[in-house]
Amino acid sequence: MDNRLRKGLEPGVSVIVGSVDAVGNPACCRAVALKSDDDLATVTVFVPTATGQETIANVAATRRLAIVTTHPISHCATQLKGIVQTTRLAREDEHAFVTEHFDSFGGVLNVVGYPPRLTRSVVRWPAYALEMRVEEIYEQSPGPKAGTRLR
Amino acid sequence: MKSSLRLSDLTRCFQGVAPSLIATADGRGVPNVTYVSQVYYVDDEHVALSCQFFNKTRRNLDENPRACVEMFDPLTMQAYRLRLKFIRSEKQGPLFDTMSARIEAIASATGMKGIFRLIAADVFDVLSLEKVDGFLVEDRPAVEAEAPSLEGRRSEVRGLQWVSERINRAADLESLLDAALQALDEYFQFAHTSVHLYDEASGRLTTLASRGYGDRGIGAEVPLGQGLIGTAARDRQVLRFSMLDSDLSYGRAIRREASGDRVCEDIPLPGLPDAQSVLVIPLTVGHRLVGVLSAESRDPMRFGEWHEAYLQIIGNQIALGIDRIIERSSAEAEAEAMPAARPAAPSRAKARKRRTLTYYRKDEAIFVDGEYLIRNIPARILWKLLDESQRTGRTEFTNREVRLDESLGLPAVKDNFESRLILLRHRLKEKCPDVQIVSTGRGRFALQTDAAIEMIER
Repeated sequence: MDNRLRKGLEPGVSVIVGSVDAVGNPACCRAVALKSDDDLATVTVFVPTATGQETIANVAATRRLAIVTTHPISHCATQLKGIVQTTRLAREDEHAFVTEHFDSFGGVLNVVGYPPRLTRSVVRWPAYALEMRVEEIYEQSPGPKAGTRLR
Repeated sequence: MKSSLRLSDLTRCFQGVAPSLIATADGRGVPNVTYVSQVYYVDDEHVALSCQFFNKTRRNLDENPRACVEMFDPLTMQAYRLRLKFIRSEKQGPLFDTMSARIEAIASATGMKGIFRLIAADVFDVLSLEKVDGFLVEDRPAVEAEAPSLEGRRSEVRGLQWVSERINRAADLESLLDAALQALDEYFQFAHTSVHLYDEASGRLTTLASRGYGDRGIGAEVPLGQGLIGTAARDRQVLRFSMLDSDLSYGRAIRREASGDRVCEDIPLPGLPDAQSVLVIPLTVGHRLVGVLSAESRDPMRFGEWHEAYLQIIGNQIALGIDRIIERSSAEAEAEAMPAARPAAPSRAKARKRRTLTYYRKDEAIFVDGEYLIRNIPARILWKLLDESQRTGRTEFTNREVRLDESLGLPAVKDNFESRLILLRHRLKEKCPDVQIVSTGRGRFALQTDAAIEMIER
């Protein structure tokens, strides 16, 4: 995986997901963590169960998902699109990863002016884990290359 | 839209402090998600998004007009979800102008003028609005409500009354502006404010009064259309920024760095280097621009809609007051029948030290002991007074005789003479206190020098 794509998985990134139902109604949701163990061939994105119900229902209907990771300071952003292969509850052994990922994000937000009490108040657990096969990757950082396909 | 929650209840979400999420889907049902820096409130049934590039979101909306937006309250982090239907793109009109002015101000301040611009204001029907339940943990600390207390409102009304009275009674421009900024500080806790007067002849705004910045900034000039102040003035649009985004801060830093080596550079605008929120209000009488009132704060959420509305009322009062004083001053100059002051006694005190004033004719700028003092018309006025004083010993002058001096290049109508004299007085006080311009009665003033003045012209 090249450095550009690796930035999307660095600690401190913000993660959001977009889904769509069977009749074309889109939905968005804040995710709390993202990981990939195979150079972005597949990713696992974690969405809180408290707010992720609609995403889960949409994925059950269409299997399609869009994920954006953004670094709040550099604005370096990547959009991953693909097909969700598995939806499950996140396991207890993933709890520490999710917490660490979201705390890193809170740390970066603190640098740009959001006090930690705000990010600590956002629900992160329990979470659903959505395992997605990545089909397309796009540059989403602001600028002339936004929308360029990276893979 | 069926919900007990109204868009107008979510004013903090519309301030652009926390970016919002937007999801769309193309005609084949492939979702797309991204951030939008600001969702604009149109009314309780509609919102608007800025279209600056023909990006994927925009292309999707042409194929499938439905969208989902998630906004965040920057004080509590509570999320709200809006289901939207794209209905039209506006490329002109009040909504477009408001959104465009904001974007152009950022573009101008970051050197992106002409590149970073609004193509259209995309307007959406809001089909539903809901609070995202479960987004926050339940035992979070409470956050104070935004609405000002009744006591606060009473204080603000008293402040308005006080400002009105002071503006009404102000005998001159200086006392009017000082009173207005003092009231903003004392009654509204707007501690960092400035007023910039528009000079139609030069197409520039000049800082004539400020509070909360020490003596800095008086005399600073901004061309129409440049930066937040110049853009608000050119477009006659109020600009309110909450949590100035990093691009704007970056652009300011570059501008500060870049301006360091310019020899005859204007005086830097009064400003907080770490301002997080800014409110800029054009001062107009009818459609005619009089100036700009600017307020800054380190608090990213300092200025809400209430402050914007309130400051506009005060801005209108100030604009009318300025206009009245300038009109009266011009009329008095016209009617004044008194002859020019006769040669009078020499300077009020023996010269104790030496000051060298250099007039750079090409730049129309005066430097005092090698330090920039003033330029343009106020510089010409000062040079004329000093020259006359040295040649004839005169120290007393009338506004009228100076106004009628064609060599100064004052505009025939609305010459802003009084504001130029205020500016000159402030700059002398700051940079050359041994030379003073003192009012000696209506339409008259004296040049007082406490130093031996050497005049050099280049």
